[in-house]
Amino acid sequence: MIRRRVVWLLVAVFLFTLGALGTANAVSEIRIGHIGPTTGWATIFGQNVLDGIKLALAERNYEFNGIPIKLFTEDTKADVEVMRTKLDSLRSRDKVHLIIGPSLGHEGVAAVDWAARNPDMPILVGYSAPEDMTMRKATHNLVRPGWTGAQVIFHFGKYCAKELGYKKVIIVGQDYSYPWDQAAGFVRGFLENGGEKVERIWHPVEAVDFSSILARLTGMAKDYDAVLNNSGGAQVVGFFKQWYQFGLDKVYPQILGQANVPIVSMLSELGDQALGVYSSLHYYDGNPSEANVKFRENYKKAYGRYPDVISVQGYDAAHVAFKAMEAINGRVDDSKAFIDAIRKVTMSADESPRGPFYFDKYGNPVQNIYIKKVVKKDGHLMNIAVKTYENVSQFGPYAHMAEKYMAAPATTRSYPPGDKDAYFKEIEKYFGRDYVENLNKNKGWID
Amino acid sequence: MRRTLVFGFRKILLLVLVAGVLIIIPRVTSDYFVMMSIRIMYFAMLTMSLTLLAGELGLISLMQAAFFGIAGYFVAILQTRYGLPFPIPPLVGITAAVLAAGLFGLLVIRVRGIYFLMLTLVLGQLVWALASQWASVTRGDSGITEIYAPVIFGISTETSKTAFYFFQLIAFAGVAYFLTALKRSPFGLMLRGIRDSESRMVMLGYPVSLLCYIAFVFAALVAAVGGVFFAYFTGLINPHSISLTTNVETLLAAILGGINLLAGAVLGTGILKTLDVVLSGVTKRYMLFMGIMFLLVIMFARQGIVGTIRKYWSSLMIPVADWFGFRRDAMPAASLSEEESFDQSRKKKEEHDD
Amino acid sequence: MRVVNLTHGAFYMAGGFVGLSVLKVSGSWALAAMGGGLFIAALALTEERFLLRWARGDHLIETLISLSVAIIVGDLVLVVWGGYPRTIAIPETLMGAVRIPILGLMYPLYRIFMVGLAVFIMGGLWLFLKKTNLGITIRAGVDNFEMVSALGINVRRLFTFVFGLSGLLAGVAGVVGGTFMMLVLGEDWRILTLTLIVVIIGGMGSLGGTIIGALITGLIYSFATAFFPEFSLFILFLPVAIILSVRPHGLFGKEA
Repeated sequence: MIRRRVVWLLVAVFLFTLGALGTANAVSEIRIGHIGPTTGWATIFGQNVLDGIKLALAERNYEFNGIPIKLFTEDTKADVEVMRTKLDSLRSRDKVHLIIGPSLGHEGVAAVDWAARNPDMPILVGYSAPEDMTMRKATHNLVRPGWTGAQVIFHFGKYCAKELGYKKVIIVGQDYSYPWDQAAGFVRGFLENGGEKVERIWHPVEAVDFSSILARLTGMAKDYDAVLNNSGGAQVVGFFKQWYQFGLDKVYPQILGQANVPIVSMLSELGDQALGVYSSLHYYDGNPSEANVKFRENYKKAYGRYPDVISVQGYDAAHVAFKAMEAINGRVDDSKAFIDAIRKVTMSADESPRGPFYFDKYGNPVQNIYIKKVVKKDGHLMNIAVKTYENVSQFGPYAHMAEKYMAAPATTRSYPPGDKDAYFKEIEKYFGRDYVENLNKNKGWID
Repeated sequence: MRRTLVFGFRKILLLVLVAGVLIIIPRVTSDYFVMMSIRIMYFAMLTMSLTLLAGELGLISLMQAAFFGIAGYFVAILQTRYGLPFPIPPLVGITAAVLAAGLFGLLVIRVRGIYFLMLTLVLGQLVWALASQWASVTRGDSGITEIYAPVIFGISTETSKTAFYFFQLIAFAGVAYFLTALKRSPFGLMLRGIRDSESRMVMLGYPVSLLCYIAFVFAALVAAVGGVFFAYFTGLINPHSISLTTNVETLLAAILGGINLLAGAVLGTGILKTLDVVLSGVTKRYMLFMGIMFLLVIMFARQGIVGTIRKYWSSLMIPVADWFGFRRDAMPAASLSEEESFDQSRKKKEEHDD
Repeated sequence: MRVVNLTHGAFYMAGGFVGLSVLKVSGSWALAAMGGGLFIAALALTEERFLLRWARGDHLIETLISLSVAIIVGDLVLVVWGGYPRTIAIPETLMGAVRIPILGLMYPLYRIFMVGLAVFIMGGLWLFLKKTNLGITIRAGVDNFEMVSALGINVRRLFTFVFGLSGLLAGVAGVVGGTFMMLVLGEDWRILTLTLIVVIIGGMGSLGGTIIGALITGLIYSFATAFFPEFSLFILFLPVAIILSVRPHGLFGKEA
C-alpha cells in the first residue's frame, strides 16, 4: 500500500520536474542572419541594410529580455548561387532563427523559391522589390517589411497626370525587371487618371553613354511633356549629367525619378542637378516625425553619414522582429509562432522612420506613399513630401480586386501598353467593364 | 587496341578508397558538408572542362562557363516554361551545348595561344550578352527560377539532398571515367602531342585541327553536364553563371589545383569554393585575399597544388610504397610530371610564336 | 610589346578615383588628371618591375599575373573609396554646349575636348614611336630583343618605361572618363572588355588600328544600343569574334 503511494509520489515528482524543465526558457541565444551583397558593385544595397539592422540591435544592446542576440552576416556577392549556399549554411550550420534579406531583385526572386522549400525558416526581406515575392509566389514564412516596385509608384502616375497636368511622358530606364515593374505601376496610375501616353525607352543595365537616347528625347520634346528616369545607381548619375550637358533641361521640365533616383546617397553626387526632381516612395528623408529624426541622427553618429531608404529597411526589419519576439515572449525556437507573430506586427508613425504600416495577408506592408520633391534646406538637399497617400498596399488602387490584379498578365518591358486606348482595352479584359466605366465616370481613382 | 583501362593494383585500391569515402559522406557528415560536396562537384565539372583543354592541349579557354550555362538555361526553359519531363530537358540542354561548341569550335580552332584565350573570352561574353539582354527568352538578369530537381525511380532528388548527391555522384563518376579514358587513349596521346609540338604533329600527318575541334566539343560536353546539375541544385539560372567572373574563377580553380585533369580540377575547385564560403564569413576582403593567393600560386607554385604535390610525391611515396611491399618499376620518378611538361611545351611554343 | 595587360581596366578605374580625391583636395581638374595619371604610372612601374618581369617573357604567366593584380586593385578601390557611384565634375571652362554648324544640334563642349585630347595623345604617341630615337629603339627592342641588347641598350628598362607610360595614359583616361561618365565599381571589367575589343579589331601593336578599332566599336555600340537594345552587346562582340578567328592580328596588326 505504502509502496504504491511512494511510486505515485515518485511519478508525480518526475512529471513535475519534466514540466518545469519544459516551461523553462529554452532559448539561450537568439540568432539572426543577414544576407545580402556586402562586397562588389552592389555593396551599398547589402551593407546599408546591414547597417540599419546593426543600429536597431545596438539600440537594444544586442539583447532581448536578457537573452543575447547574435548576428550572422553572409555576403551574396550579388550571385544567387552563392546566396542559396549561404542561406543553406545560415540554416544548417549557424542555425539561425530568422533571416533578414536579401537586397537585390534577382536575389529576392531566388529567395522566395528557397523560402518555399524551407517553410520553417522565417525570412524578413531586406530591400528586394519584385512583387511576385508577396503576390503570385508568396509563401507563409516570407514577409517583406519593404515595398514592391509598383506599390510606390501607382500614385505617382496619378499625381503626374492630375496635379502636374502631364499628358504624355517618356520613361528612360535600365532594361531589367525592377524598372519594368516601376514603369508598369506608373503607366497604370498615369493612364487611369487622365494621362494619354507613356513611351518606354530601355537601355542596357550598364549603359554609360546616353547621347543617342538624349538626341531622341530632344526630337520628341514637342510632343511629350516630361521625362522619367527609371534607373538606379551609376546610370542615374550619368543620365543626369548628360541631360544637362546636352541641354535637355531647356526643353523639358524637371526630371521625374523612380524610387532609386533621389535617394540620399545619390543626392550628394547629383548635387543641384537634382533640385526639383519629383519621385515617390514609402519613405522620405525630410520626414519631420520624431522616429525619423532620431533615426537619422543616431545613424549619422554611428556611421558618419546620413541613412537612405536602404538602411531604413534593415532598421525596420529588426524592429518588426523585436515586436514579434515580444509577442511570443522570446520563444523564437517555435518558428510557426514566430512567423505568425511577425505577420501580425503593426508599426505606428512613432515607431518607424517611414510612418505607420502593417502587413497584408500576403506579407507585404500597407503603408503611406509620399510624393516627394527635392529641395534645398539649410544648404543641403533633401526630399520633402508634397502629397501623402495613406494605406496603400502592394495592389495600390486595386486592393479590393487583388485576385484580378494577380490574374492579369505579368509585367514585361512593354506590358501594360503605354497607349491609353490599348491600355483600356487590356484592363477591360481582367478588371472588367464596370471598373472601366467607373474610371471614366470619376475621371480616375477616387482619393 | 588493348583496353587502356587496366589499372595497377595500387590504383585500384586508391579508387576503392575514394569511392568508399564518397559514398559514406552523406551518412557521416552534416547536411552542410553534403551541400558543399554537391556544389564542388558541379563546379569541378566546369573546371575539368577547362583543364581538359589546358592540360591536354595547352589551350586556355575562358568560355567554358558558356556551355555550362547553355545547358542550364535549356533545362530551365524546357522545364519551367514547357513542362517537359525528365530526362528530356537535360538531354536537350547537353545536346544544345555540344552543338554550340560545334559552332564555336569552327572559329576557335583557327587560333592558338594568347589569341585563343582572347577569342574564347569574347565568345564567352557573346553568350553572356545573349543571356543577359534577350530578356524575352532568358528573362535577362532576373534569371529563371523554380527549377525543381527530378524525381528518379520514385525518389525525389529535390527533397532529399542525399538522393541528389548520389544522382550527381553517378554522373560525376561517369564524367571522370570518360575523361580518364580519354586521357589514356590514343586520342589523349595525340592531344598531348599537339600540346608539345604542333608543327611536329602536322608534319607527321595528324589532322590537328580536327583533333582540337573534337577536344573542344568534348570539353563543352563535360561543362554542360555540370551545368545541368547546377540548374537542378540551385533551382535557378541567371547570366552570372556565364559571366566573365565565373570563367575567371574557373581558371583560378584550375591554376590553384594544377593542370592535372581530374585531381587538380577537383582540388582547386574544392579549395576555391570552400574558401568562398568560409572566408566571406570572416572578412569582407575576400576578393583581395583571392587575388593575392592567385598571384602567389602563379609565381611560386606554378604547377598548382596538385602539381607541387606530384613533384614531391615520389620522394614521399617511395618509402610508403616500400613499406606496403609495392615497388613498381613504372614510377614516374625519372620522367617529367604532367605539369612540368605542360609548362615546357608552352615555353617552347612561345619561343616559336615570337 | 605583346603584353596583354589585363590590369588595364583596374588602372583606369583606380586612376579615376585617385583623380577624384585629388580634385577634392586641390580643386583643379587638370591636377586631378595628372595626379591620376602619375599615380597609376607609378603603380604600373611597380607591377612591371616586381611582378611581370618575373615572368621572363612567358606571355601566359604575364597575363595571369596581370589578372590577379586587377582583382587586388579592384578590391582596394572598394576599401578606399567605398561602394557608391561617383562622378568627377566637369571643369568650369569645359562646361556647356556648342552648336555644331552643319548638323544644327547642341553638342557638349566637354565631349569635343575629349576628342581633341584623344587626337593630341594619339599624335604625340605616333610622333614618339616613329620619330624619336627612344621610340625607334623601343620598337626595335620588341622586334629583336637580343640584337638591341647586344648594342648595349638596356631594353628591359625601356620596356618598364613603356609600361609606366601606358599606366600614365590609363590613369588620365580614368579621370577623363570619370568626368564624362561615372566612376563605379565594375567599371574596370567593362572598360577592359571594351579596350580588348578595340585592340582586337584594330590589331595589336598598331596605333592607327587602335583609332579605327575605337571608331568602329563606338559606332557599332551606339547604334546597336539605340536600335537593337536587346542585342546590343551581342552585336558588339560579334565582329570581334569573327576577326579573331579569321584575322587574329586584327585589321592593321602586325603578323607575329
